[in-house]
Amino acid sequence: MQSANMLLRKIVRSSVLPFAAQHGMKKDLFPRSRTLSLSLCLKQDKSCEPSEKLDLDEWKKVMKSGLQEDVSEMVPEPKELSSLAAARETLEMWRLAGRVVPENISEEELKTFMECPSKSAKKKYLKYLRIKELHKKNDKRKTGEKRERRLEAQDQASKMGETKKNSFICMWSSTMDKAYNWRAAQSMIFGQPLVFDMSYEKEMSVREVTNTVRQIVLSESCNRRSVDPFHIHFCNFKDDSLYHREFIKQYREAWGKLLITVTDQCYTEIFPKDKLIYLTADSPKVMKTFDHNKIYIVGSMVDKSIKTGVSLAQAKRLGLETAALPLEKYLLWSTGAKNLTLDQMMRILLTLKDTADWKKALEFVPKRKYCGFVNKPVKELKKTLDLINTLKLGKGREEVQKQIAKSYPKKYKLK
Amino acid sequence: VQPPEKPLQAEEWKKLREDFQSPEIFEEVMLNSMIRCNSPTDVAKSLLTHLAKRNGDIAYNVLVKYLTLCVQQGQVSEICDVYDIMKVRFKILESGAYNLLIKGLSNSNQWRMALTLLEEVKKIMVPSRTCYESCIKAASRHQEMKLAFELYDEMLAKDVVPTLDVLQSFFDFSRGMKDAELQKELFGILLYLRENQIYPHKTFMRSIKLWFESIPGGNWRGHLTNIKHSGQCPVCNHQLEDSNLTEEEYSNLSERIIRDVIHGTDTFRKTTPQEFEAFQTFVENRLPFDIVIDGLNVSHIKTRKMQCENLFDAVNCLAKENARLLVLGRKHMLMNSSNWKREIMKEMQNKADFFFAENISEDDAFLLYATLRSGKHCKFVTRDFLRDHKACLPDSLTRHLFRKWQRGHQISKKNVFPVFSQQPPFCYDCVVQTTGDTWHIPYKDVFEEKYSYQVPRKWLCIQQK
Repeated sequence: MQSANMLLRKIVRSSVLPFAAQHGMKKDLFPRSRTLSLSLCLKQDKSCEPSEKLDLDEWKKVMKSGLQEDVSEMVPEPKELSSLAAARETLEMWRLAGRVVPENISEEELKTFMECPSKSAKKKYLKYLRIKELHKKNDKRKTGEKRERRLEAQDQASKMGETKKNSFICMWSSTMDKAYNWRAAQSMIFGQPLVFDMSYEKEMSVREVTNTVRQIVLSESCNRRSVDPFHIHFCNFKDDSLYHREFIKQYREAWGKLLITVTDQCYTEIFPKDKLIYLTADSPKVMKTFDHNKIYIVGSMVDKSIKTGVSLAQAKRLGLETAALPLEKYLLWSTGAKNLTLDQMMRILLTLKDTADWKKALEFVPKRKYCGFVNKPVKELKKTLDLINTLKLGKGREEVQKQIAKSYPKKYKLK
Repeated sequence: VQPPEKPLQAEEWKKLREDFQSPEIFEEVMLNSMIRCNSPTDVAKSLLTHLAKRNGDIAYNVLVKYLTLCVQQGQVSEICDVYDIMKVRFKILESGAYNLLIKGLSNSNQWRMALTLLEEVKKIMVPSRTCYESCIKAASRHQEMKLAFELYDEMLAKDVVPTLDVLQSFFDFSRGMKDAELQKELFGILLYLRENQIYPHKTFMRSIKLWFESIPGGNWRGHLTNIKHSGQCPVCNHQLEDSNLTEEEYSNLSERIIRDVIHGTDTFRKTTPQEFEAFQTFVENRLPFDIVIDGLNVSHIKTRKMQCENLFDAVNCLAKENARLLVLGRKHMLMNSSNWKREIMKEMQNKADFFFAENISEDDAFLLYATLRSGKHCKFVTRDFLRDHKACLPDSLTRHLFRKWQRGHQISKKNVFPVFSQQPPFCYDCVVQTTGDTWHIPYKDVFEEKYSYQVPRKWLCIQQK
């Protein structure tokens, strides 16, 4: 038994481990090799000593014995680790400690990780990577399952024999694309312009810019698929800016073929000023109807840190008219900021353009942000709310008022 | 799960594990509850033995959990054993394990090992404040004050903020020592409290008092007291530093307010350049004011009254004694409405200067500017805590200046019906202060103060006879 064990160790040490070490996967292999050798040890122990005496420090022996020799041979690596390798090592330890850390991390991500200014920033970044990783894994699994199901279905279909003859021409997605592009091309000549203001790069972090571009890509595709698309303008767009690089990452070759207008000019240089309306949640003016002769501007900005008044400042500087969506007028707002994502904005504007129906358009506001649609004027509703609350909960009037003032701050302050 | 009271056999653990709803995390959950119940380490050991036998290995996070239990119970030899095992098994450890090891070892006679561990941590990361705390406490407990202060200085140099506990331990362990160097260092800590506007809590204050009184030949005497409104200490009749800023601080602050609060990254966010310029010329032509009033804020004092009536009361109350008033408001106040009556507005405009900003501009920024421009005697009236404006200031030093200035110049009134009564601002500065032979130290009754604008009312007066 003893000799067999030795033999096994030798094999493990001579063949597997150097290979493993070369590829930097020492830790993955260690436990396995040890389990092998140990299980042999343990069997031997039991056969010799059947007594049930409990040795509390036995785990220490196990931890020390299986290792010391192996490690002492493995350790003579260069002692001074490069900072990258050290960071990788730290991450590995965090993972072992059960923190939220990605299993695999690329060189580039590792560098970003090291550049994070604080401990909490590092933590957040790692969590983000981990969640991304999990999503990817899930997606992969799902597509795999789908493929299997499809193959199965095909198998069954081929077993059934004959394929059905269809009198309709199959509409392939490329055909659809052609139709969409035709519409988009038309919109570039006759369509109503919609401006995305790309001048907020320096207000955002890298991740916010990535999110922004993602949202714009979503809105562009939604616009292309609509019955009557807008003519999209990207204004103040600087070549080789972060926006530009992100767009190329998202669209790849398609970036050059998009049916939109991209320009480094400001919208005020392209369009007459009196036709422009800047859409911003901070605007004191509330949009009543959608005007087909105006040109609406949407600020391409994701502000996770809630920088109030940035786009309003931009509009003030250029002396433009501003407007906000009438969210409070139509929705009983509950939680969340009133700024919407760019694709939600696009869907709302498209629906308004087609139907002029606010209720239909505001369906695209996330459900979690409001309790329901307002069917009476807000003032009356507030009165009934007041009444219900005072009757039901026995709350004081002032308390109720405070609560409402929280969700409708401007109205109470300005009047 | 309830941890067992006695060590179990492998078979028994196996059975427990199988009965548990999710066996994969059984060990973790079990060890967590052991930590919570402070179970004897023998029980945990038996679980580890079972684990080692089954897997031939014990996962890192399980080891850390066990270590937590050992540290909790101060089992020094176990801690050392676990450290040995970890050192062999892993090339480096992560911060959680280091924290535990250092904490565990520093409380024992092996405390020097904690120091070597701290050196090890420094190689891979910035040690946490608790690491430093344990080491400093250990060093000062063994009367190695020099070493403790070296660590403390190192900590400050690395921008790690010391806990109040660390600062307190310096005073606790230096009691009765006669050492000029040490005394200087401890005075340095008091000045650190001053600079960062930290107020010690009651027990910390007691440590400071006891240390002062224990200095051999120092003849220091400490008394607890309340400072009079005039700023005079009732014990030693010493006048506390007044709350006025120095010329330099004052100009520094007004510059920062204009640059960071009003202009910020973009002047258009709070106002417009035209409007700000108009406001500047308006203010310059009428300087100096005695009181600047935030019109809209004051008009909301009593919800039952018309808003312009509230403001009218305030102006009337403050307009006595020929004080020059400036009321800041927004343009919508000029529109005749149910809340803003034109006649009353007219009447008020005879008694005070008014400036109306655009409806979408921020009037608070103007309030700060006008007050600062008018000079040190000028006060302002608002119930707003101005937290958002303080937050616009980039560094803590300026923020402290702002708070100090605000304490000395803001009039915020209680909501008392029907008289508009004003509560005078502080005329003395609420920080740790010294004249050489006296020290005055404000302290908190409770451990955590709830609001940053609140200052303690209780003081420790220490004087040398």
